[in-house]
Amino acid sequence: MTMAEPESTLDASTPAGMLEGDLVKRARHGDLKAYDELVKRYQERIYATIYHMTANHEDANDLAQESFIKAYQALKSFRGGSSFYTWIYRIAVNKTINFLKQRKNKYHLSLNDIDFNPENDPELVALISTKTPHHDAGLSELQKKLNEALLKLSEPHRMVAVLHDVQGMSHEEIASIMGCNIGTVRSRLFYARQQLQGHLAEYMKPA
Amino acid sequence: MNNKDNFSELRQLLKLKRHEVPPPGYFNNFSGKVLGRIRAGEAGGEQTFADRLQAQAPWLANFLAIFETRPGLIGGVATSLCLLLLLGIVFTENADSPQKNVLGAAVTADSQSASVVTSVTAPVAAASPETTGLAISTNPAVSLQPVATLFGQQDQNQNLLFQSASFTGGNN
Repeated sequence: MTMAEPESTLDASTPAGMLEGDLVKRARHGDLKAYDELVKRYQERIYATIYHMTANHEDANDLAQESFIKAYQALKSFRGGSSFYTWIYRIAVNKTINFLKQRKNKYHLSLNDIDFNPENDPELVALISTKTPHHDAGLSELQKKLNEALLKLSEPHRMVAVLHDVQGMSHEEIASIMGCNIGTVRSRLFYARQQLQGHLAEYMKPA
Repeated sequence: MNNKDNFSELRQLLKLKRHEVPPPGYFNNFSGKVLGRIRAGEAGGEQTFADRLQAQAPWLANFLAIFETRPGLIGGVATSLCLLLLLGIVFTENADSPQKNVLGAAVTADSQSASVVTSVTAPVAAASPETTGLAISTNPAVSLQPVATLFGQQDQNQNLLFQSASFTGGNN
């Protein structure tokens, strides 16, 4: 008697085990299960990017959903010149920047629906306790200041700062997503950091 | 200069943002909602014109989006188009003015006196095909207008209105 082998979690016959290219092919032919898997793979990163740009949970929720819907509708025009990951990011970034331009000067911070638990990150706790002059200022206040500082940047500068310093993307990836060259990404990042440094100066003075 | 060090502090500070996450379980049904909206769109055919435009001609959609974000720009473009239209009308009128004068003179002649028309056309009318064997109509088009009706001379000029603009061989 032989024991049945446990099912692999990455079975290539199931959407979860498929390569991105295969999922895209299936989704292009209307396979919603395949597209469901694609959404699951990238939903957190797409949502996070949009949220860091808008600082509003509801807006991020709507824009993230609309980005995936739009991507599905436009799948037939996806030539495969870049990865689906880059492509869906590009859609989300364009959609977010357009949304923010339309909503200019009407920013509404909505952090109530967001969980913020950096206490578990000892490195960050140490940073706050040693570098922040206002020790009494809670993390939530710092979170608010961070978002306000980011919202003061122009959309392209904020996007570069979010993708690089928050999301941890490379310059090349950002250039591909934003449709500009690497030099532009570097200069935008430098300018954005300078601006942020000015806005958050009180949190970076030596103790 | 310790810009680099300062940036590293800033980067560490920005890492705090990574801890901002939606409530637990938020992503459990996220893809379900997306697929639900896709199915609803497919069932209802709710793809808007804007969506179709974005899918088929993204450059045009992006161009139109510029107007959405800058209402002043669309005002400027509309004003320019109006100015162009006005300029076009003015130039067209200037270009047409000689022709208009001719027409105006003809209309004036018609309205002032039907006898002018009669005098111009009388020799032609007198030269009937029966006598000369050749009928030529060189009257201006305005003479074919039912001007006589306006002055109660329909009977007198009725034949003139229907002169044939062709040559008729008579005695050949």
